[in-house]
Amino acid sequence: MAAAAGASAKAAEEPSLRRSVTPWGSFSWGYSDVGADIFVGLGLVLGAAAGASNVAFLFAGIVYVCIGLAYTELAAAYPVAGGGQYFVFRGLGDIFGFIAGWAVLLDFTIDIVLFAWSCIDYLSKLVPILSFTAHPWVHFLVVFGVIAGLAVLNIIGVRESSAFNELVSGLDVVSETSILFFGFLFAFQPQLLIHTMQMSWPTPFNLMNGVSLAIISFVGLESISQAAQETQRPASVIPRTSISLILTILIFALSYSNLALGMAPWHAIPLDPHGHEQPLWRYLGNEDNNGAAVAVLASYVPYFGAVAALYVPVLGAILLLISSNSGVFGSSRIAYAMSGTRLLPSAFQRVHPKYRTPAVSILMFCGFAIVELIFAALPSLSPHVRHLYVRLFRGEDGITFLGDLYAFGAAASYSFVFIALIALRLNDSQSPRRFKMPFNIPFTYKGNRVEFPVVAVIGFLGIVSILAFTMITHEIGRVAGPLWILFGIAGYLVYRRHKGLPMFGSQRHDWRKAQINILQQAGELEMMDEYMANVKRMDDRRAAAEGAR
Amino acid sequence: MRRFVRSEGYARARLISGAFFVVFGVAIAVRTAAIAGFSAAALPAYVLGGAMLALGALRFRDYFARSRQ
Repeated sequence: MAAAAGASAKAAEEPSLRRSVTPWGSFSWGYSDVGADIFVGLGLVLGAAAGASNVAFLFAGIVYVCIGLAYTELAAAYPVAGGGQYFVFRGLGDIFGFIAGWAVLLDFTIDIVLFAWSCIDYLSKLVPILSFTAHPWVHFLVVFGVIAGLAVLNIIGVRESSAFNELVSGLDVVSETSILFFGFLFAFQPQLLIHTMQMSWPTPFNLMNGVSLAIISFVGLESISQAAQETQRPASVIPRTSISLILTILIFALSYSNLALGMAPWHAIPLDPHGHEQPLWRYLGNEDNNGAAVAVLASYVPYFGAVAALYVPVLGAILLLISSNSGVFGSSRIAYAMSGTRLLPSAFQRVHPKYRTPAVSILMFCGFAIVELIFAALPSLSPHVRHLYVRLFRGEDGITFLGDLYAFGAAASYSFVFIALIALRLNDSQSPRRFKMPFNIPFTYKGNRVEFPVVAVIGFLGIVSILAFTMITHEIGRVAGPLWILFGIAGYLVYRRHKGLPMFGSQRHDWRKAQINILQQAGELEMMDEYMANVKRMDDRRAAAEGAR
Repeated sequence: MRRFVRSEGYARARLISGAFFVVFGVAIAVRTAAIAGFSAAALPAYVLGGAMLALGALRFRDYFARSRQ
């Protein structure tokens, strides 16, 4: 009794996240992460998939819708700040939870560099000295400075305020809609789109490359599920906001790719390096512009482009900086959570004595981000390394190198999330689900009525094919991605052995107690009662079956 | 910003933008059918039209759910 009272008092003393995120806050939290992706992805996909860029976005978009539906179901049923890593940990056990979390950590470290890099690319459209192709050293040092600055800010505990986040997201939705509205109104020619698709259809290799890069335009759904622990009434709010977010991002990605392929530019496009004329989409996808394609596209929209050329680079840079910061924040938060469940050493939970922030995690993952930045920038900084990259990796440019790894990490972690969703549907049918992926096949499993999610299987096949495309088409991603996972698994096994924990198996977890706590803390008391009733019914049924035996 | 997104004006603005999404979604689908027919190349445009229709419908549903409250 005393022990129970003590535990309850301890739980009351433990600091927990305040539930202050509203429906709009939940949307903008996700939007500031996923919405920034199109700013990076558009140019990369146009450079790879040429006239089939819209098809590449379509394929990746359909997979993304499946991923989005899976995250929506899981985040509404398990509203905790762990995202995909927590779902896999819970559905598939410790080692798979570690692998999924480690892949998410790769994505977060790439997120830090890729968005900081692209943020400077956008600013270079207004401040030419920041251009990567013209002044690679300046670009490198400024990106380095941005990452170091974000690390320091996160250690001293400054994070962009939620209100600022919401304001920037709101402005960006209006801005992107305006670019598309004026672009389609004044400059879009459907016949040009069809002509481009027919005349510039890529090879199957380039199409696969484009699809694998297109998925990076849809990465960031982790944010919604990570915000779940701070969202008011998550079971009802999350499905509403995430479906709006999924559709908004899909519409933006498909609209931008169709517009870029079928838009007649307002003024003349510079000639290519060989002195030939080039279409707009090719100009957007070249090395000079692929990091800031949305700003360049906006500047070629008739009339509106005169204004857009001035503000889109700034707005894009701010959104990308927020996204880069979410990488620093997210990586330290996931590492902290993984350390709490003994998937990572306790050092990742060590907080700064003065600022009370997870300083070790922040420094470590920003350190990884700096290493990735050096690998991405080296070929431009040194001609010798460029020759080596051409020989070994077909000479991928810096931003494509980062895109490769981003696609690998996302595809790997999302694949596990689909399997975890299926496992949780079968093994945890007692948890109430206020939102379910559509198209389910009901059947009886271990005496319980369960529903098999067909869309999860489709999504899994889609994301695994994107993972295969990434491995086939990206020389660096094929090596560096699996190496990251293997390096992580080796470290995990050493740590678990050292601590005397099961290396390949799982520790004992009281998921029932955990689920009741989660729902209670979420304020979802009806769901909690429903869960307890379901569990009791299942236990009674099992006891009756054993008695009959 | 938070006060604005809780206001009736914001709800109406979403309803109107939802109506625009429905109109644009239908227009994209109809125009694509007229220009490109039902070829595989037209698929991205059909999905775009469908996504716009769905987003418009979602906004209508949200507005009427809010009105009922």
